[in-house]
Amino acid sequence: MLFSSITFLYYFLPCVLAAYFIAPKRWRNAVLLGFSLFFYGWGEPRYLIFMIAAILQGYLFGRLMERYRDHARAFLAASLIFSLGLLGVCKYADFFLENLGRLTGRSLPLLKIALPIGISFYTFQILSYVIDVYRGEVPAQKSLIALGAYISMFPQLIAGPIVRYSDIRKELKDRRHTLEGAASGAVRFVCGLSKKVLFANTLGELSKLCRASGEQSVLLVWLSAVSFTLQIYFDFSGYSDMAIGLGRVFGFRFMENFRYPYIASSVTDFWRRWHISLSTWFRDYLYIPLGGNRVSRGRWIFNILAVWAATGFWHGAAWNFILWGLFYGLLLIVEKLWLGRLLEKAGPLRHVYVLLAVILGFVLFDAPGLREAAATVGALFGFGGLPAVNEISLYYLRSFGPLLVLSALGATPLPAMACKRLRGLFGGRVWEAARPAAAAVLLLVCTAFLVDGSFNPFLYFRF
Amino acid sequence: MKKISSALTLLFTGGVLFLGAALGLFLPDREYSAAERRRLAELPALSADSVGSGSFMDGAETYLQDQFPFREAFRQIKSLVATEVFGQKDVHGIYVAEGYAAKLDYPLDTASVDYAAGRFGAVYETLLKDSGCRVWLSVIPDKNQFLAPENGYPCLDFTKLVSRLSGQMPYASLIDISPYLELSDYYRTDIHWRQERLADVAAALAEAMGTKLSGTYRQKAAADSFSGVYRGQSALPMEPEKLNFLEADYLEHCRVYDYETDREIPVYDLSAAKSADPYGMFLGGSKALLRLENPDAPEDKRLILFRDSFGSSIAPLLAEGYREIILADIRYITPAALGELVDFEGRDVLFLYSEAVLNNSETIK
Repeated sequence: MLFSSITFLYYFLPCVLAAYFIAPKRWRNAVLLGFSLFFYGWGEPRYLIFMIAAILQGYLFGRLMERYRDHARAFLAASLIFSLGLLGVCKYADFFLENLGRLTGRSLPLLKIALPIGISFYTFQILSYVIDVYRGEVPAQKSLIALGAYISMFPQLIAGPIVRYSDIRKELKDRRHTLEGAASGAVRFVCGLSKKVLFANTLGELSKLCRASGEQSVLLVWLSAVSFTLQIYFDFSGYSDMAIGLGRVFGFRFMENFRYPYIASSVTDFWRRWHISLSTWFRDYLYIPLGGNRVSRGRWIFNILAVWAATGFWHGAAWNFILWGLFYGLLLIVEKLWLGRLLEKAGPLRHVYVLLAVILGFVLFDAPGLREAAATVGALFGFGGLPAVNEISLYYLRSFGPLLVLSALGATPLPAMACKRLRGLFGGRVWEAARPAAAAVLLLVCTAFLVDGSFNPFLYFRF
Repeated sequence: MKKISSALTLLFTGGVLFLGAALGLFLPDREYSAAERRRLAELPALSADSVGSGSFMDGAETYLQDQFPFREAFRQIKSLVATEVFGQKDVHGIYVAEGYAAKLDYPLDTASVDYAAGRFGAVYETLLKDSGCRVWLSVIPDKNQFLAPENGYPCLDFTKLVSRLSGQMPYASLIDISPYLELSDYYRTDIHWRQERLADVAAALAEAMGTKLSGTYRQKAAADSFSGVYRGQSALPMEPEKLNFLEADYLEHCRVYDYETDREIPVYDLSAAKSADPYGMFLGGSKALLRLENPDAPEDKRLILFRDSFGSSIAPLLAEGYREIILADIRYITPAALGELVDFEGRDVLFLYSEAVLNNSETIK
């Protein structure tokens, strides 16, 4: 079930809100768990068993680690083997079998398991929980329902942000529900929905049209790449906004996942702003345990490349994702060694550099294979034998130009600054008066797009 | 103020969601969307199998989307926001310029044209080659040709399409009807041409095939509020228009036989003009094989018309010069089946196809 669907908005959400707020406080985690499992089962009834098994093992090994500290390492290993094993079988088995087959020249039978939605997200949440319990940073959760609610919580279940158990541990036990918290959550949810439905979906249509066009040109390839770059931002950050907003309605504070990544002044800065919950996860649970930067230069380079190869691999079991991660790893190394100092003096050019790196990165990310990625990059720079412009590319530019401009502006802090200014007008009265109507109107407009629309995939569902 | 604003925010947003849910649950389901010209989804059957496979959920999502309250109003809001706020120049590929709606069909799909030529070639080889037929080809330009270039929309190269097709049909003489057509010959809200504006086109076709038409018709109104397919699909604000047809003395004696149903049907079905597919009033709309007989025809000339839906409205005008016209739509009948039902010996044969069908010819059998 997508957040951006009539089913979710008009049927699931009213039911869960009514049940949650009618239920006594002590039952609310159970309500969340029950609805979350229904939410997951709606899209993936077969794979509900994987999630329940993952929750049970996380609970069991967490409790065992705490009770038998001497054997905690073994229990941690068992939990990691279970979680990573499940992820490995469901997501990576065919990749390894395929590549092994290529290496040995034999055709190995593939498992062909359809990737359970959100498995990468909930697996990482469980990993962070058991590792934190092992490290003694958090006590093991004694309530299976509370842990289940944390792992399966539908607002962030299938596309993040990757919420750390330590961040919401206290809220799982006792959380406050305030009028203002719920209202700000509702507004945040509607903003996220608008980013997804009004912007990401329409940009996705442009990207799809560009790719499907029978007549290609350099401008069309650029339009496709730029629209995809904007689409993935509005899609993913919109989903995160919806998750954060819903979390707030239910009394949780989830971490921010995006901070205007496209205004970054370096690739290092970009990754401090893009999918923050994932990059900090890899920093805390892989990069630092590997030694971080407090090692020799050679080992540090290895650590960076290992972490970024893993980051890429997390996104998908294909070489282009691994190369996408390594591409960023290399840029981070180069920036750390010498480019960073140069960028500080580069003024606006550094933004051009970042955007170019990001666009090229997403070409690699989105390509069905390495050959196609190389062809697209070549075409972007005029090596594809394509004309510079053609009739259809000019038409799409005219037709989607205003949306592209709005999207580009929307990806900067300008809208937030405008809202802040509005908040300051007449002691906030204009803002407070406009907020309810604006939220309802946006919700209705999103509904109109959903009722009419058919193009509605969430890009991060495949992870 | 902040508390009131928060309360109102929750009231408004929650109100929209809960009201939408309540209306969705309690309003009766609709079977058909006249605007979109399609059946709306029904709630799928609930069973262990359908839940286990996920098909129930998929079906339910489609059902809830289709049956959402005020669906048409929401679709119109979407189209308005897309065009007026985001400045998009088309909705679902349909644009409105000079008061006419048209569908983008770009670029020229040479493979599609070649496929159509191949299928026509197969018809010629199997049915026409040795039957002493005289064969003509004519291509109906899309409304886009008169609308797109002047209004900044892409438009496929019609000349290239015709030349590519006719180049592969050396057995057919080309009749160019483009000079007889202009924008006002098409409906504003629909893909089709207006029958009441086709007298000159029909005369040109007939003359090229060696037949004369008097061109004496009486214009009649079939419906005052014809909403064409583009209006419904795009949900763009457009006024309905009049659906007219041409009567003539000879048409009163014409008989139309439908091979598919083994029944006679009227030349003009006025009840269909008020149905979901009003253009279906002309010779019954989408029909695989029809025989239109004109006992008043001055000569015993017979025509086989390979056609798409555009042919339905022009055939009654051509009937003046022919004792019999066989209308074959090879999107619905195979040439092999056609060979068993129709005598091709010594007939005039006209392949009359619209640009849109030729550029998207995968449905031709």
